[in-house]
Amino acid sequence: MFKSVIGHSNDPDSLMAITEVINECTRSLAGIKPQAGILFTAVDFDHSLILQKIQDTFPGIALIGGTTNGEISSILEFQQDSLTLMLFASDTVEIQPGLGLNASKDPEQAAQQAISQAMAHSTAQPKLCLTFPESLTSSGVVILESLKRNLGENIPIIGGMTADDYAFEKTYQFFQDQVLSDAIPVLLFSGDLLISHGVASGWTPISPKSRITKAKDNVVYEIENQRALDFYQQYLGPETFAANYAIHALAIFDSQDRYYMRAPNSYDPDIGSVTFFADIPEQAIVQITDASREDILKASETSLQEAITHYPGTNPASLLLVSCAARRRILGTLTSQEYQLATTYLPQKLPCCGFYAYGEIAPLQQHSQSKFHNKTFVTLLLGDT
Amino acid sequence: MGDRQQIEEFEKTIRILRKKLARSEKDRKQIESDVAAKEALLKTVIHKLKTSKTTLEQRTQDLQDALDTMQLMQVQLVQSAKMSVLGQTTAGIAHEINNPIGFIYSNLDHLDEYIQDLFKLIHLYHHYLPSPPTQFYVDSEDIDIELIEEDIPQILQSMNRGTQRIRDIVLALRNFSRLHEAGYKAVDIHKSIDNILMLLQQKLSGIEVVKNYGELPLLHCSAGDLNQALINILNNAINAIAIKNGQTEGQLSDPSVITITTQYQSNQQVVVNFKDNGTGISPEIIDKVFDPFFTTQEIGQGIGLGLTIARQIIVDQHGGHIDIQSELGRGTEFLIRLSSQC
Repeated sequence: MFKSVIGHSNDPDSLMAITEVINECTRSLAGIKPQAGILFTAVDFDHSLILQKIQDTFPGIALIGGTTNGEISSILEFQQDSLTLMLFASDTVEIQPGLGLNASKDPEQAAQQAISQAMAHSTAQPKLCLTFPESLTSSGVVILESLKRNLGENIPIIGGMTADDYAFEKTYQFFQDQVLSDAIPVLLFSGDLLISHGVASGWTPISPKSRITKAKDNVVYEIENQRALDFYQQYLGPETFAANYAIHALAIFDSQDRYYMRAPNSYDPDIGSVTFFADIPEQAIVQITDASREDILKASETSLQEAITHYPGTNPASLLLVSCAARRRILGTLTSQEYQLATTYLPQKLPCCGFYAYGEIAPLQQHSQSKFHNKTFVTLLLGDT
Repeated sequence: MGDRQQIEEFEKTIRILRKKLARSEKDRKQIESDVAAKEALLKTVIHKLKTSKTTLEQRTQDLQDALDTMQLMQVQLVQSAKMSVLGQTTAGIAHEINNPIGFIYSNLDHLDEYIQDLFKLIHLYHHYLPSPPTQFYVDSEDIDIELIEEDIPQILQSMNRGTQRIRDIVLALRNFSRLHEAGYKAVDIHKSIDNILMLLQQKLSGIEVVKNYGELPLLHCSAGDLNQALINILNNAINAIAIKNGQTEGQLSDPSVITITTQYQSNQQVVVNFKDNGTGISPEIIDKVFDPFFTTQEIGQGIGLGLTIARQIIVDQHGGHIDIQSELGRGTEFLIRLSSQC
């Protein structure tokens, strides 16, 4: 048995909201004790109070999560300024938590801490790692690569980077009753777990091709020998740039036609550099991207269908959705359709939880290595045999 | 639902509505900013695409020009090689003909003198031997000595004109071959034109060539190349007249004339003008006549490089000018200006 339950509240009052969510979950659990959970909340809640309440109700629960740019559930569907909690209970699937700290200083050490802590209590080989790491202080690629090195490259790592409602100031990660920054919380699933996943974007390159002429790790200094900041401002306008640059990721071409995306998350007006969520190689050919709402929703559908087609069982027990914050921004009032698409292909009562992130993590295909993405919609179906 | 519960529900609704109101104001500002940024992005992308389209068009034109230049150079190279071989051949032929014709020419006077002596001798015989033996009458019956005496000077005169003509042609050939030697040298343009006219004599049959030569200094130029340019322009004039004559065959028309005028101007420029009364060029295509591979002749009659090469030699190689004026059905005039110090 693998059971998941969901609670979701849009009450801005932290205590009221978590009380409502816990009541919903408790009702759905019908007396079953949950082993683990994932929590996604808006950035301006009293997170300590919320985590304490969860721990008080479900002592010792393996809980991870983080702040977001919007929350999704099968109860209230898409919401902003809300909190949603998904709890897992199973007698066949083992779920162990792990936490790595100081991801920006030593991502390898932080990843090693998180994985070894979770593995220390695992009795079986992990089948899935869920993670919601810090997004603003470190490179998403570096964190993911460190996790892969410590966990093994063939174990799927799925999740998203925590967000802060497009303020790009501070995001928070949750681990048990702790509210953290610069951290890597993980949940390792092992046992009779069945999973499938999908990922798609919908963004397309729009500008003429340019070359990265100066970059180090995830900081780009020059594009076509022009300051990276000036390059972006030239396209987006000097006044509107600051509020919009994160939407327009760079498409990085690794061949004539194939590209992946890297979204910016900050810039330095003095030296004119732009910092991205993940590394960009020097001399890479890039293009500024844009997306239409139609293309975004089409990609969401593709991601859902990919996961549904490849699900190895018959009845998944839960659905996790991780979508990019920029998708929400462009979709606007159509954002709710990303979840509603799921209900056209999956049972309406299937417990679903998700959030809008600053970077997504998932393999591009089944049984392939996990990759860091921007501007994507990640679908994860979970169940047991 | 009790009153308290209802109040709690209302309070929750008010909290949510307040939050949504704040969110809605934030979203509105964000949407405005998003629209402005998107507009800026699209404008910039469109501008860049227009720029790159223009650049692409310019590059395409540059490539086309480079291709034309390359093809022109290729043809010129072949042409130059052909002219070089032709030069060597004509020089050889001229040398071989020059000697034997020299023997003939230099001996014609002696021959005339000897024949006159022979006739004197015949007259002396007639005078001193009025009654020769009978056999002499029998043998001399078929010889009309009076006719021979009358005809021989004309034959000799004709031979003299013929050998003189051969000598002129040989001289023209030698000049022509010498002009195709590489490098810049001082050239008498009139001599060059005369040599070309001599060589084109066959093609010029039926065309009156009027020469209005002015006083010209020697021109420092690449003689062989300039020769080539002048041949191409003259050939063009001859062809234009031939086409017109073909069109007006059987009709009364003006006699065919090519007028060559030269002039030395006070600005130290040598002006050479070739005017024909051939078919002329229509205004629609006159700007194209110097374009590579542009021709109005039938396929196989010309490849459209004659005037292109002429322009390249005069303008690009010698820093001169070449202008064209034409009237359809009336004829064409090429005006070449070259600095005497080019």
